[in-house]
Amino acid sequence: MIKIILLLLAGILASCGSTPAPRLPPTLEQAQEIDKEARRALRSGDLFRAQHEFTKTLQLRQSIDDSEGVATTIINLATVTHQMHDDEGALNWLNKITLEIPSVYPAALRMDASFRKAVILINLERLPEAESSLADAEKLCDKKCSLHFGLEGLHARLLLLKGDTQSALELALTVSKEAEINKEELANALRTIAAAEEKLARYTEALLHYQSALELDKTLSLSGRIGEDLAGLARVAKQLGRAQESSAYLKRAELVNNALRQSSGP
Amino acid sequence: MTLLADKDERFKNLFGKAALFVLLAAIGIAATLLWTGIKKGAFAAKSPIYFVADSGQGLSEGMPVKYSGFKIGKLNTLTLDEQGQVKVEVGVDSKYLKLLREDSVMSLIKEGVIGDGVLELSRGTESKSVLAAGAVVRFERANGLEQAVIEVKNRILPILDDLHQTLHDPQSDVRQTLKNLRELSSELKGTRERVDHLLGSVDTNLNSEVGPLLRSLRVSASNAETLSTKLDHDLPVLLKKADDNLENLRLTTQSVKDAVQKSAPQLPGMLGEARDTIDKTREVVENTKEMYESLSTHWPLKDSAPPAETTPIKMDSHD
Repeated sequence: MIKIILLLLAGILASCGSTPAPRLPPTLEQAQEIDKEARRALRSGDLFRAQHEFTKTLQLRQSIDDSEGVATTIINLATVTHQMHDDEGALNWLNKITLEIPSVYPAALRMDASFRKAVILINLERLPEAESSLADAEKLCDKKCSLHFGLEGLHARLLLLKGDTQSALELALTVSKEAEINKEELANALRTIAAAEEKLARYTEALLHYQSALELDKTLSLSGRIGEDLAGLARVAKQLGRAQESSAYLKRAELVNNALRQSSGP
Repeated sequence: MTLLADKDERFKNLFGKAALFVLLAAIGIAATLLWTGIKKGAFAAKSPIYFVADSGQGLSEGMPVKYSGFKIGKLNTLTLDEQGQVKVEVGVDSKYLKLLREDSVMSLIKEGVIGDGVLELSRGTESKSVLAAGAVVRFERANGLEQAVIEVKNRILPILDDLHQTLHDPQSDVRQTLKNLRELSSELKGTRERVDHLLGSVDTNLNSEVGPLLRSLRVSASNAETLSTKLDHDLPVLLKKADDNLENLRLTTQSVKDAVQKSAPQLPGMLGEARDTIDKTREVVENTKEMYESLSTHWPLKDSAPPAETTPIKMDSHD
């Protein structure tokens, strides 16, 4: 009983010493509500609704000159547009930040926009433009920036696509050994290492790295990456003369990719 | 010797006085003539100018010569020379010669459409030398109404000739068109006969078919009359029943109204209570919301409330 009373007293004291949460401007509150809706729609896979809600958020944030919010929403719109397979549309959104004069948007968000632009351009194999965007992002990032590992991983991918396999392998290995690296970027680095080793005909190491990447991607439930890992495993197993194993991987890869296609709709 | 004694003083020097009167009158007449002559330019120095015309038509002695609308001289003489041309001399006030140049042109013009003819001298080219007395200038006749009529006549006559020829040519378009019109007219006559025939047959058909139709209509009208008589008989009964129903409805409405009036004093209270309840509910919801918002910023609820996401949605280097 005494404990309960003491607990209540502590609660009352905490309440007395506090002030009510300051209310935000109504437009900003409304923008935050719609932003929440958009993120909820995105999590549930409703990309069209997410895009619609983010567009409304953007208009509200623009109306109150919330430059940080505007940049964040533009990046979100670009990401959703990219997920809807409209890469040109996504690049157009990102250009609104990267081609703007530097003082308009915060440096961190400009770096993020350049990074995402480089990712999309690398996917499209527009390597010179991707290199330029990646350089812009790297310029804005010091060693401790949040995208540090992503930038290095992307750099390794770029080197691999440009044919500099050895440098790509070395950079990806360095990234994978970082202690603070997150799971997504670690899986990406492992996949890059495996692909570089496959190119260098180091099939045994490549097989191991693809398997490591697969294990991580399974924990992250990233179907697209799982399909990629399985396809890599199938290729490498075949090179190693393990035809049966290769066939099994290939079949699994096809199943995963088919399921992914069906879930993403027509 | 004096026949009569000139005893009246007023008749003294009568001859002298009469001579003086006549002299003054003569001087007055001479001054008037002189003044008139000066005004008319009779004493102004004249310079002769000549021109040659193909005929003397429209020219006459005394005809005024004008420059820019001002009279500066007149036609003095008209003579026919050995070549049959008319040589004309005009006298121009010498003081105006300096305004004219040696290439001045003398034109015979009409003052207005049907006015008198006058000679008009043009100034000539500025760079040329001043016209000298006794010089010969070029002459031309300006186009008057007669000339215009002649020109119109010259233009219209060929057209009339062409028209005449066209109307008399059997192969011309006009003749062909008239021929076609004639044929069309004769065909229209046939068409009209056929239309007349058709109208006649329509009339016959109408007589044969419309008659029975009218008879049928008459029968229908008779039936309608019967029906109307029946309605006259039945309608009052129906209306009475309708009146009864309306009366019942009125009584029912009155009952409802009485019921509402009885309960009316209670209604505002009920509505007020309902409104109060809604207001209180709203207040409770608002308070709860405020309390939640306030508490959500403090321990222990601070950590349980999800913070608004302000960072961009995730995208990694392989997306």
